[in-house]
Amino acid sequence: MKAVTVTPTIKKRPRSGRFWSTAIRNRYLYMMSLPFVVWVFVFSYLPLWGWTMAFQKFKPGKSFMEQEWVGFDYFKELFRDDMFYQALRNTLAMSGMGLIAGFTVPVIFAILLNEVRVQALKRFVQTISYLPHFVSWVVAAGIISKMLSTDNGIVNDILMGLHIVNEPIQFMGEGKLFWGIVTASDIWKETGWNAIIFLAAIAGIGPELYEAARVDGASRWRQVWHITLPGIRTTIIILLIISIGHLISIGWERQFLLGNNLVRDYSQTLDLYALNYGLGMGRYSFGTAINMFNSLISVVLLFSANGIFKKLTKESIF
Amino acid sequence: MSGLKSKATILLTLTLFTGLIAGCSGNNNSNATSPEASKPAASASGSESASASSEDLTPITFTLFAEDPNPNWNNMQDEVSKEITKKTGVTLDAEFAVGDPAQKVALIAASGEYPDIISAKGDIGKLVDAGAVLDLTELIEKYAPNIKRVLGDNLARAKYTNEDQSIYALPTWAAVDEQRFVAGGGFELQHRVVKEAGYPEIRTVQDYENVIKAYLEKHPTDENGNKNIGVSLNADDWHMYISVTNPAVATTGGSDDGEYFVNQETHEAIYHFRRPEEKEYFRWLNHMNDIGLLDRESFVQKYDQYKAKVATGRVLGLIDQDWDYNDSQQALKTAGKLDQTYGHYPVTMSKDIKESSFWPTGFMGGYGISISSKAKDPVRIIKFLDFLASDEGQILNNWGIEGKHYVMENGKRVVPKEVQDRINNDNTAFTKESGIGFYWNTMVHYGDGAKDSTGNYYTKNFPEQLVVGYSDVEKETLAAYNATIWKDLFPKEDEFKEKAYGAAWNISIPGEDEVSILGTKMKDITWKRIPEAILAKPADFDKVWDDYMKDLDKAGVEKMEKGYTKYVQDRVALWSAK
Repeated sequence: MKAVTVTPTIKKRPRSGRFWSTAIRNRYLYMMSLPFVVWVFVFSYLPLWGWTMAFQKFKPGKSFMEQEWVGFDYFKELFRDDMFYQALRNTLAMSGMGLIAGFTVPVIFAILLNEVRVQALKRFVQTISYLPHFVSWVVAAGIISKMLSTDNGIVNDILMGLHIVNEPIQFMGEGKLFWGIVTASDIWKETGWNAIIFLAAIAGIGPELYEAARVDGASRWRQVWHITLPGIRTTIIILLIISIGHLISIGWERQFLLGNNLVRDYSQTLDLYALNYGLGMGRYSFGTAINMFNSLISVVLLFSANGIFKKLTKESIF
Repeated sequence: MSGLKSKATILLTLTLFTGLIAGCSGNNNSNATSPEASKPAASASGSESASASSEDLTPITFTLFAEDPNPNWNNMQDEVSKEITKKTGVTLDAEFAVGDPAQKVALIAASGEYPDIISAKGDIGKLVDAGAVLDLTELIEKYAPNIKRVLGDNLARAKYTNEDQSIYALPTWAAVDEQRFVAGGGFELQHRVVKEAGYPEIRTVQDYENVIKAYLEKHPTDENGNKNIGVSLNADDWHMYISVTNPAVATTGGSDDGEYFVNQETHEAIYHFRRPEEKEYFRWLNHMNDIGLLDRESFVQKYDQYKAKVATGRVLGLIDQDWDYNDSQQALKTAGKLDQTYGHYPVTMSKDIKESSFWPTGFMGGYGISISSKAKDPVRIIKFLDFLASDEGQILNNWGIEGKHYVMENGKRVVPKEVQDRINNDNTAFTKESGIGFYWNTMVHYGDGAKDSTGNYYTKNFPEQLVVGYSDVEKETLAAYNATIWKDLFPKEDEFKEKAYGAAWNISIPGEDEVSILGTKMKDITWKRIPEAILAKPADFDKVWDDYMKDLDKAGVEKMEKGYTKYVQDRVALWSAK
């Protein structure tokens, strides 16, 4: 069993004059981190060079200097396309729903699990709950669409059996249900996994706090409210800020695998849009423009979330 | 950024892949990849001999990427491939597309890491723009006597465009001197359905609907109580074309020109959904849905779910091509459910319309195989392809190995009974072991109905051999319709005028061209609106259809048609110039 512990340490930064003396004192630490800095540079910063593509009429096989520069043409095209706004709406809606569900459910689950007193049961439930995390989306999508199928799907069978509906519901063909299905499958798949980090944070709360509370006559519910939740607040907020930074890049696997033509208006995310209208048609520059827009929005979101939380709760990641 | 993310991905994949090759090549010949200095093979050029014995046979490995899947591919460990390696020294390290091949080709073009041999079908334009593929004209002239012999004048149809008359793709999809015998399309019905109805004529959508309806009323469920399904459509991704939108053209008498309907006199192209006749076809599907004969999951199911469903034998009728549902049909055969396999019927909207499956296209030079500009040894590659195009290579691919997969009896090639039994009943495993048919679109080839110097057919698809592959139930159905093969039911080639441009779907349009961007937009609208129209209440059908037409107009459909017309007319000009 793997336990993830997160100890958010917020160090005070040294003043600039003391930078070198600190650097020399901690030289081994710096050296140890060097490979990772190089790693980040190579894989996260070096590729940014490719953003130049968005301002060129990029043709593969030509060298950088031979490309034709077109300025903001591709961005103009992008912002004129109705489909882009639809994709943006879907992305934000699904990630927003995912964000809300992805925080409340695992936190509640972790707290409930923490209150279970039988260790064996607790372990068992925890293991079962995070197993779906290891199922790939391809398989998960297959299971989900089979369960929701109108042809002997278990959900429809149950609804029919209980006489709640007279005729099977076409869940996968109803655009309005799509966001919900994606969010629900996300909960099924990731709740257990995401709860691990909160369980670890809860484990870090000193038992003396609970003892003191019990002496003061606090009920279980009061203990959760006044000790457990404040105890993991830092963890929640830091994870929340990071997640907000990822709001716009929710990927495309789920939407691609669960979606179909009937629900396309609700399932096309920005990444899928970039894939279909950019790379799929060999329009490298257009695809780059979409992704560049994504990255800029992510940075803006991250900084605003960080700023807001800094003001409101005095917690932040930088 | 996606380009670069992908670059990183490619890098990673390549690294892993290299490791994989390094790990696996122990039992192969690990020094095989050393590029052999291509020596001029004077002995071969000009010689019409199919033998490659005087050639350079040092082992060499070429990488290959193909857009069409080859699900049974056995990494050259099958019998035919081993024979090819023996004759040419070539081993292929092949990758076949999974998912959308257009994206993969775009990646290949952008990465600069080209496989040695690429078959990019309609996406060849991306590679040509990137300078990723060689002009093959000279290589063919110098080193490929067999290819020249087989293609003859048809080689002119492999030219890229009017402006750029290079040959970038060796036309390996199209068959030379083809006389088709296999009817794989039309509408499909299970043999038990027509049998129950007493083998009535199946000629119009009404006939088709009637037999399914009658059967379903009598047998609403199978023996396990699961519901039988009237018609299931296969609408996952590009299968949409095959099973949903192309039949609209076929049933209304048009020839398959992809997303267009081309006027055969003026060669003007219109987006085919805008023809009023097709609206009626979709109205019929809407009606089928309304009366419960259409599978409700048609537009929701994924391809594997569709295949699984068909393999249960519960689906009475299909509107699909045989290669698209073949896996399921093989499963039905293996399970012995022969009366639940399918026959093909020339269904149209009304009797005065001719089903156009056999409308001749002439030799189509569009799709083919290309050699990368970074290939290790283009001469060896063209010689390898030339071997495949030789009589020996073609017969090896189509028939297998003499004495094993076929024998010569009285000067005729015959498939021994035990081999035929395996082909009929254990097809997948047999194909994997033997490798028969793996190279059909890697080689320049003669078509069905063409005979070699010994008077035997090049392919196995000729009437006598086809019948051998039919099951007894299939024969019984055919006999009831006074036919020996399915093609007998369809209108023949000579009832149509050959198209001057091959087929419009075979014309490749550069990705940056507005026509192609508009095309994707139209596709998105169509793929959304057509299911909506079919699933709508019959009373709302007209309204949905009107909205659909308005959407198309708004998105610029006429502009797209004008642009496409030009491509078709250019193709006509290119091909008629000799």
